[in-house]
Amino acid sequence: MATGNIARKLQKPALIGTMVLCYLFLYLPIIHIGLGSVSQNYSFPYPPKLTWATFERLAENTLYQTALGNSLLIGVLTALLSTLLACLATMGLLRHAGRHTVKFLILFIAPLFVAEVLLGLSSLIFNGLFLQLGGNLISAILANTVHCFSYALLIIATQLYRYDWRLDDAAMVFGATPLRTFFEVTLPLIWPGLFGAFIVCFIMAFNNLEISFYLLGATPTLPSVAWGALRYGIKPELYALASGVNVLVFAVLGIMFILMRTGAVRFGHKPERDRSAI
Amino acid sequence: MIGGLRMSRDPRAWIFLGVPSVFLVLLFVLPLVSMIVLSFWRTENYHIIQDWNVDNYHVVATAGAYVTFLIRSLVMAVIVSTLCVAIAWPVAYGVIVHGGRYKLLLSLGFAIPFLTGEVLRVIALQGLLGPLGLLNGVLMALGAAPLRFIMYTNIASAIGLVYLYLPIVVTVIYLSLLNFDMRLIDAARIFGAGPFRGFVEVTWPLNLFGSLIGFALCFVPCLSATLVPRFLGGPSGTLYGMALAQQFGESGTWALGAAMGVVLFLLSIAGVLLVFRFVDLRRSGFTGFGRS
Repeated sequence: MATGNIARKLQKPALIGTMVLCYLFLYLPIIHIGLGSVSQNYSFPYPPKLTWATFERLAENTLYQTALGNSLLIGVLTALLSTLLACLATMGLLRHAGRHTVKFLILFIAPLFVAEVLLGLSSLIFNGLFLQLGGNLISAILANTVHCFSYALLIIATQLYRYDWRLDDAAMVFGATPLRTFFEVTLPLIWPGLFGAFIVCFIMAFNNLEISFYLLGATPTLPSVAWGALRYGIKPELYALASGVNVLVFAVLGIMFILMRTGAVRFGHKPERDRSAI
Repeated sequence: MIGGLRMSRDPRAWIFLGVPSVFLVLLFVLPLVSMIVLSFWRTENYHIIQDWNVDNYHVVATAGAYVTFLIRSLVMAVIVSTLCVAIAWPVAYGVIVHGGRYKLLLSLGFAIPFLTGEVLRVIALQGLLGPLGLLNGVLMALGAAPLRFIMYTNIASAIGLVYLYLPIVVTVIYLSLLNFDMRLIDAARIFGAGPFRGFVEVTWPLNLFGSLIGFALCFVPCLSATLVPRFLGGPSGTLYGMALAQQFGESGTWALGAAMGVVLFLLSIAGVLLVFRFVDLRRSGFTGFGRS
């Protein structure tokens, strides 16, 4: 019993310590890139000699701007498409698949277990060899959607799994059409899952190299430009671009933090149900 | 009520399940099939010749280099995935238990590094671990010897792979724990189980499914890693995925590459099946899909 008490007391600092170390490990390279983007000695910015020259050069570089635009386009369209398809698929699995559930589930999550390189290469073979299609943005978006779809399914399924479908039935009994039921009952309750899926898909597609690389042809995106720049050594402008994106995201997270701190928004967090199943 | 009858009668089922299925068959299954077809053809001077043979597989199996790369990749993938699960557990658990109302923010924090491209992050890791990197710079400034084992070795590759895939594993285990009823731990404690016993007998088995999915999602990309070994692995760090990608780039031997891809695909499937053989779904708290 005594050892149990000590273990319990040690548990919290140990857990928090591991968390802090882990976040530090994850963010060290990000900080390295951030420091590199604002200093003259960008490959070893310790200590940094501050300069804004990199950002000025970035503002003039049209290739990187096009690349950012293409990456954003791939990210947003892939995320929309995969969230939509995954939402359909999850509802289908949970409500309509019946005894075929396992078969459909295997098909739907199979892309998770096929490496990105293989997805990219096999799509390249199919498009290039059998359809005689050159590289283009649309096939890159579609191939990314295959990969992201399964992740979205996983995320949405963990949310929808706990959803009580009797709520839908209730709405229908009271005369709501299926469409109205979805938008007025289901969607407001499951949106955190859909939103999470959208964000994750966007992030994965935005920076995907291994799928997009083989399907894009000459269309530049951020990762492919970075890959191309490697031949001559990485350019600090790319560091600046990445840091710019990061600063923007941290600003959004900072606003979220302040809003949650003041209790203005809760983002699905229900304090009174903290330790309960439903 | 169940099965084919209900499916054929209900048009909604065809929309909900049919649309994603058709999408996947067209854009996922057909490309994989075309890769398998290509692997039985051959390439000559950058041209593909439709001449059915198994030479590509013969090359993969007998050329010593590919077998070495494959074994090295397998060992690497197993070690990295195990490490990731071991690190991810305390972190995900910590976020769940001590995250309070900032849980969502903390879990989003794992996704943010992904916004910086893989290439840049690997280069940054190189900047941190390499001979002129921060870590060795600090060590040398303090008068200590630099750590040679983290410069362009397989250990550096392993650190890089853990770095790239840890966030995925943490997220999966986090999602699993999010759906886990924490009151069960309280119940175990009330009945006299210490924290360790509670974890081994309640928390771990009930979240085994999450751990295994996390393991698999780390294992598959590690097995085919291309970037990390190229930049961190050094001269004896070539992994299978890197050699595979070269067949489609520099060497232009697509058919051989396709055969290597098929081998990789089969190995990933075998690995995943092996992992999931350990799962007894009912023991892991899985209660089936149909709730109605």
